[in-house]
Amino acid sequence: MLAALKDEIKQLLVSELDLRSKQPADIDEAAPLFGAGLGLDSLDALQLAMLVEERFGVTVPEGDAGREAFASVNALAAFVMRAREG
Amino acid sequence: MRLASSQRIAITGLGMVSALGVGARPGFARLCAGESGLRPLTLFDSSALQGHLAAEVRDLPSMPADFDRTDFLAWLAAREALSEAKWAPSAPGLGLALGGTTAGMFETENELEGAGASAALGRARRLLTHPLSSVERRLSATLGPFACAVSVCSACSSGAAAIVLGAHWLASGKAQAVLAGGADGLCRMTFAGFSALGLVDPEPCRPFDVRRRGLTLGEGAGFLLLELESSARERAAPVLGWLSGWALGAEAHHVTQPEASGTRAARLMLEAIERAGLGIDDIDYVNAHGTGTPANDAMEAAALSRVFGVRGDGVRISSSKAQLGHTLGAAGAIEAVITSLSLEAGAAPPSLGLEQPEVSALRYVGSRAEACPLRAALSNSFGFGGLDAVLLFEAPSAARRRLPAARQGSLVVSSAALVGPRLAVGRACLDELTGVPTAPPLAPDPFESLDAGRSRRFDRATGLATQAAEAALVAARLPAAEVGLVLGSAYGAVERSLRFLDRLIQRGLRAALPAEFPHLVASAAAGNLSLYLGVTGPALAVSASGLSAEASLATAAALVELGLCGSALAGAIEAHDSVVQSLAPAFLSAEAAPRSEGGGFIVVERDAVAAARGLRPLARIVAVEEHRSGLRPQSLALGPPLDESRALLVLAQGADAILARLGASPWTRVRRQRVLEHRGYFEAVGLHAIALGALLVAEGVPDLLVLTAEADVLFAVRLSAIESP
Repeated sequence: MLAALKDEIKQLLVSELDLRSKQPADIDEAAPLFGAGLGLDSLDALQLAMLVEERFGVTVPEGDAGREAFASVNALAAFVMRAREG
Repeated sequence: MRLASSQRIAITGLGMVSALGVGARPGFARLCAGESGLRPLTLFDSSALQGHLAAEVRDLPSMPADFDRTDFLAWLAAREALSEAKWAPSAPGLGLALGGTTAGMFETENELEGAGASAALGRARRLLTHPLSSVERRLSATLGPFACAVSVCSACSSGAAAIVLGAHWLASGKAQAVLAGGADGLCRMTFAGFSALGLVDPEPCRPFDVRRRGLTLGEGAGFLLLELESSARERAAPVLGWLSGWALGAEAHHVTQPEASGTRAARLMLEAIERAGLGIDDIDYVNAHGTGTPANDAMEAAALSRVFGVRGDGVRISSSKAQLGHTLGAAGAIEAVITSLSLEAGAAPPSLGLEQPEVSALRYVGSRAEACPLRAALSNSFGFGGLDAVLLFEAPSAARRRLPAARQGSLVVSSAALVGPRLAVGRACLDELTGVPTAPPLAPDPFESLDAGRSRRFDRATGLATQAAEAALVAARLPAAEVGLVLGSAYGAVERSLRFLDRLIQRGLRAALPAEFPHLVASAAAGNLSLYLGVTGPALAVSASGLSAEASLATAAALVELGLCGSALAGAIEAHDSVVQSLAPAFLSAEAAPRSEGGGFIVVERDAVAAARGLRPLARIVAVEEHRSGLRPQSLALGPPLDESRALLVLAQGADAILARLGASPWTRVRRQRVLEHRGYFEAVGLHAIALGALLVAEGVPDLLVLTAEADVLFAVRLSAIESP
C-alpha cells in the first residue's frame, strides 16, 4: 500500500509539476524534492500542497512540519499515510 | 532612424478611473483625504477564498453592451485625458500606447461559466476575440483613428512601459501627441491566481508595514496625454507637469520573487534621474510600487535605501495601493497620474495604515497626506518576471535645462534566427524561404536544445522563441546581459489559460494552480526568456494580432533609440495551440494559406554597437512605419526605390490588399518575393518576412521594402545595404 502511494506521488510530481524530462521511475524516493534533488522550488511547494490536498484529502501544514512532509517522496508518502490514519 | 527631438515632454491631460471613482482630480482628492476603495468584492463570487477584499470600481456609468469591463475603464480614463487636454476628437497625429494584462478576461470567464462543458471550444472562442490588443481595437474604434497604436505588457509595470513608448513616439516624430496609459479590470484568473500564490492579505493591504501579509487586488485605468513642449505651446494647452525621465529593465532573477537586494531596481531609479538631468537631491517624492507583499516591499525598501540612503533629510515615500489596490497592468499608469497630480498640488499622498514601517530609516508618508512643495518625483513599477519600470515627473513650474544628448546613429539588423519547420540561422533561412514551396510541417521539439531544468515550465511557444533568441544572440556574437527583448504574440498562451480557467470554473477559485498562474500573463514568455537568457535590459511583450512581429520590431527599435539598451532582440512567436488551431478556420485570418506555426528573432542595434564587436550587420533599417486608415503622404519607407531594377518588395500577409493600396507606386513594378507560400500563415509570419528582407540585403539587394497588412493597418519596413567600410 505504501509502495502504491509512492508510485501515485511520483506520477503526480511528473504530470502536474512539468517535470518534462523525467519518468516516474527516474525519481529517487529518498532524494530531496526541493533544491539539489528533484530541483523543485517555492512555486512547486505551493502547487504540490494544493494537489496533495485535492488528491489525498490531506492538508500539508505551513512551516517546519510542512518542510518535513516535503523532504522526499518517502517522507511525503509517510506523511499522507499518517494523516489518513490519524 | 534618429530621434528628431530632445524637447521636454509635457503632460497636458490626465484621466483616471479607480476604486475612488471616475475622474482623476476627484480620485486624487479622495486619496489625499485618506479614503479607502477596499471593500468586499461584488463582481463575482469569491467566498471560497480567504481574502475577499478588492478595490473594485463601483457606480460606473452604464456601459455600452459590446464593451468589456476593461474596455470601458480604459475608455472613460482616455476620454477624460483627451478632454482635459482639449485635444480635438479625431485630430491627426495622436498615438495610443496601452498597457494591460488581462483585457476582457472577466467576460470570458462569465461565458465559460455560463456555458455547458459540451461546448468546450465554442466557449473558448472569446479567448481569441479578447486578446491583449482588444482594448486598443476598442479605443481605436471609439476614440481614433490613431496615427499609431500598440498594446504592451510587462506584467505589473505595463502601464509605465506604455508611457515610455509614448515618450519615444514624441521624440521620434511618430506622433504629435500620445495617449499613454494602462487598464485592467478585476477577473477570477488574477484574483484566484494571486491568492493561490499566497500573496493576498486577508486584511486591507498595508504596504511597507511590518504587519503586511500581501496585496489587495484592484482595477482601473489611467491615461496621460503627452506632447512635446512646442506642441503644447502651439495649442495653448496648459502644461500640468513634465515627463522628464524613465528607465526600463529586467532583474533576470525569478518569475515571482523579486531580487532581494534591490540592486537592479536601485540602478533603474538612478538611470531615470540621470536621464532627466537631475540628481538624487532634486527628488522630493517617490510613489512606490509598494504592493504590500513581504518580498516586494522588502526589495523596494532596500532599493530606496540604496538610492536615497545617503540623503540626510530623506525623500517622502508612499504607496497608493492601500487605497486603490494593486491594479496590475493599470498600476503604473494610475500611479503616474497620481504622481503628477502630487507635484501639481504640492501634496504627497498617504500610505493608509502604515503605522510600523519595517525600515525606520526611510521617510514614509503615513496615513495622512503631507502638504509640501514638490519639484520632482519618481513612480516605481515592478512586475512578475522581474520586469521593472521607473518614471520621473516634474512639477509644471520646473525650469528648462539642458538634457543629456541622445545617442545618434542608425539602426541595423545584425542577425536573424527563425523557427518554422526547423531552427534556421542566417543564410540557412534563405533556402527555406526562397526554395520550392512545400507544405509547412510543424516545428520540431521546442525544447530540444534547451536546459531542461530552466525551461521546465515553458510552453511550446516559449520553448521555440527561446531557441530562436539564443541562436540570434550567438549569430550576432552578442552577450545576453543588458540587451533589450521584445516578443510579439497575437493570442498568448490560449490552451494553457483555458486549462487554468476550466479548473476554476469546475472546482472553484481555490483550485487555481499557483505554479501555472505566473505563466499566463501576456508578458510571461518575454519574462521567461529574459530569465533563461539572463537579459537585464528592458523586456516587453506586444500584441497586435497578425502584425505582432512588426509591432515587436517597432518597439525594439524604440528601446534602442531611447538609449535604454544598445542592442535589442525583436521577435514574435505563434506556436501550435490546440484551441487556436481548432477555432482558426472559423473566424481568424482570411488568408488562404494553410495555418502553420513559427516565429523567430532578429537582433536590432545601433550601427556603432555592432561595429564595436567587429560585426558586419545584415542590413540597415531605413524606416519602420505604421500606416493606419490610409498611407501617409510623407512616408520615408514608401518613398521611391533608388533603382527599380535592383530593388525588391517582400510581401507577407495581406499581399493583395497591399498591392491594391500601393496604386501606381514604383514599388509595384519591382521584383517581388512572397513569404506565405513558403511558410503558410501564422500571426508571427511577418518576422520571417523581415528576416528574409535583411538576409536578401546581405546577399546584395541594395534597397528592399517589407510590407504586411491586416485590416486597416499596414506596416512598412525599409531596409538598405550596409555601406562597405
